[in-house]
Amino acid sequence: MDMMDKLKILADAAKYDVACTSSGSNRAAKRGALGNAVACGICHSFTADGRCVSLLKVLLTNKCIYDCQYCGNRRSNDVPRAEFTPDEVAELTIRFYQRNYIEGLFLSSAIIQSPDYTMELLAATLRTVRETYHFNGYIHVKTIPGANPLLIRQAGLLADRVSVNIELPSRESLARLAPEKTRQNILAPMRAIRENIAQSKNELSLYRAARNEPKFAPAGQSTQLIVGATPESDSKIVTLAEGLYGKFKLKRVFYSAYIPAGDSRLPTVAPPLLREHRLYQADWLLRFYGYKSGELFSSEDENLSLDMDPKCHWAVNNLHLFPVEISTADYLTLLRVPGIGQISAQKIVAARRVGKLDFEDLRKMRVVLKRAKYFITCNGKAYDKFPLLPETIAPRLTDSSRIDNYTQLTLAQ
Amino acid sequence: MLITFDGTFDGFLSVVYAVYYEKLEPVSIQIDGTEQLSLADLRRIETDSEKSARVFNAVRTKISPEAALRVYYAFLSSAENRFLSILKYIQLGFSVGHMVDSRLHESFVRDVHDFYKNVGREAHLLHGFCRFAETQQGVFYCPVTPKNDVLVLLAEHFVERLMNQAWVIHDKRRKKAAIYDGKSYVVAEVPAGAEFSYADGELETQELWVQFFNALAITERKNKKLQRQLLPFHFRGNMTEFV
Ligand code: SF4
Repeated sequence: MDMMDKLKILADAAKYDVACTSSGSNRAAKRGALGNAVACGICHSFTADGRCVSLLKVLLTNKCIYDCQYCGNRRSNDVPRAEFTPDEVAELTIRFYQRNYIEGLFLSSAIIQSPDYTMELLAATLRTVRETYHFNGYIHVKTIPGANPLLIRQAGLLADRVSVNIELPSRESLARLAPEKTRQNILAPMRAIRENIAQSKNELSLYRAARNEPKFAPAGQSTQLIVGATPESDSKIVTLAEGLYGKFKLKRVFYSAYIPAGDSRLPTVAPPLLREHRLYQADWLLRFYGYKSGELFSSEDENLSLDMDPKCHWAVNNLHLFPVEISTADYLTLLRVPGIGQISAQKIVAARRVGKLDFEDLRKMRVVLKRAKYFITCNGKAYDKFPLLPETIAPRLTDSSRIDNYTQLTLAQ
Repeated sequence: MLITFDGTFDGFLSVVYAVYYEKLEPVSIQIDGTEQLSLADLRRIETDSEKSARVFNAVRTKISPEAALRVYYAFLSSAENRFLSILKYIQLGFSVGHMVDSRLHESFVRDVHDFYKNVGREAHLLHGFCRFAETQQGVFYCPVTPKNDVLVLLAEHFVERLMNQAWVIHDKRRKKAAIYDGKSYVVAEVPAGAEFSYADGELETQELWVQFFNALAITERKNKKLQRQLLPFHFRGNMTEFV
């Protein structure tokens, strides 16, 4: 089989994994090696579905001994199979990087022979890329559930980011759809990765001078959850994500609307893109806006509203906290005003040190007032006499943007 | 008064110097040879790298290092009114220091911030969208047609990233190029019609990339409008996967 066919099969088999970001690692270039890593992340192209292309994302092989029902590579599925050698992956990475097609490599694999055997192959491939081909750019490797922690450590020392996909949000769903995987097999490597990262940081502060010691996955750990294949509520998913950010110190949780892979046990509806979008919005509120998952749900409402983004929804349910006064409210309070994001809040905090702000000043500073105006006062004055009642305010906050604008990218940017 | 200068960053800073010390009040600042006919008096300012260095230093220390960066990026912008806005920004900065960046109700402060953002955004996008192709001589050639004059910003990025290979980034719109030999780069004018041919294996690599790119799209999620927002058409002319 020639490279062209292999690449087609193994890129196609890897494409549903959404973790495309290459951000979070900063590594200077060095003589004799190819490339560097920049913390802000760079998109090299955009696909016809509007997703960022930044990494050469391929599987080492799609020949799988497991039979997970949500996955196109499952053993019982009749699809063409292929396998790269470590050299092939390395050479392709270098050729693409020299032409600035990519930011680096995202390598994962189906499970061939056994989890350990596969993990060993992945580590060997990374070694070839880094040591034989002197590649110094970004590498993300996905570890194999159930693999030996020592093998994971080897791979993690060569990579910028390491991930383990949780895939399904609950034990029951995992047992039903991916019977060969267990929650334990997934969480154990996560725990090991967290400890390795913590240790790497520790070593770093202890031996500042040992600059050349490799760091374990400096860009941290991430995971992916499939949404819509199983019945878990948004509340369950967001709470799980919050725990992963907290307990396991994950850098990112990615949500992926389930796309049917042709199994009758699973729904065959269109992928729930809007729901995926709302989950990314809620995730954003957790990570950057200081919200707790408990604030976003109530006992009657276990799911995020599809009509309104989670921040507006929270505001409508907490009208007693509004309006807030622009000239005095602190930064975190400003952030909770619908329509005011981080940039606007920063601008307001900076500008009010120079002078009083009225609505016209806000407009000039390009703070979008469409939604914010109902929730703020400027020097005690409201925008108009609009009553702050749930039934009057809610219709003004529903977002009219259509489904085709919803992807994680609008947020990831 | 209408002021003209040679179009270089040093030249522009020399204008700022003259305005400050001679208390000039320009209504417009333009590049030599492009000035519009006007009834105002015309004044041509000579470029003086000593004066420009003093101005730049003053911007860094009296206003802030960020302001110096904003000034430089804004200068690279293609906006008509950039010179006058930057001048006013620096003047206000000299009197209020780093607080100039909080005076967002002044239109020229907003302008400078916008120019800075635009230029930074275009350079950032091109860090990803630049495409290099290997030539018979082993040099990697990359054509670009940016709206703003971001060539130097691109060169600075690729000097780090593609440190061990010779490359040329060619701004076809401004007919100049950054030429890197594996050690350092220079910016030079490029005569029209320079020819080259691809190295062996170059076309195969390009085909592999196109193959990979096409395999990535998920048809169930097709969204051309979003693709267009994120990757506007004017970039695509130089990108392997779109030509
Ligand atoms: S182990 Fe991975 S590749 Fe194999 S069927 Fe399960 S999800 Fe797919």
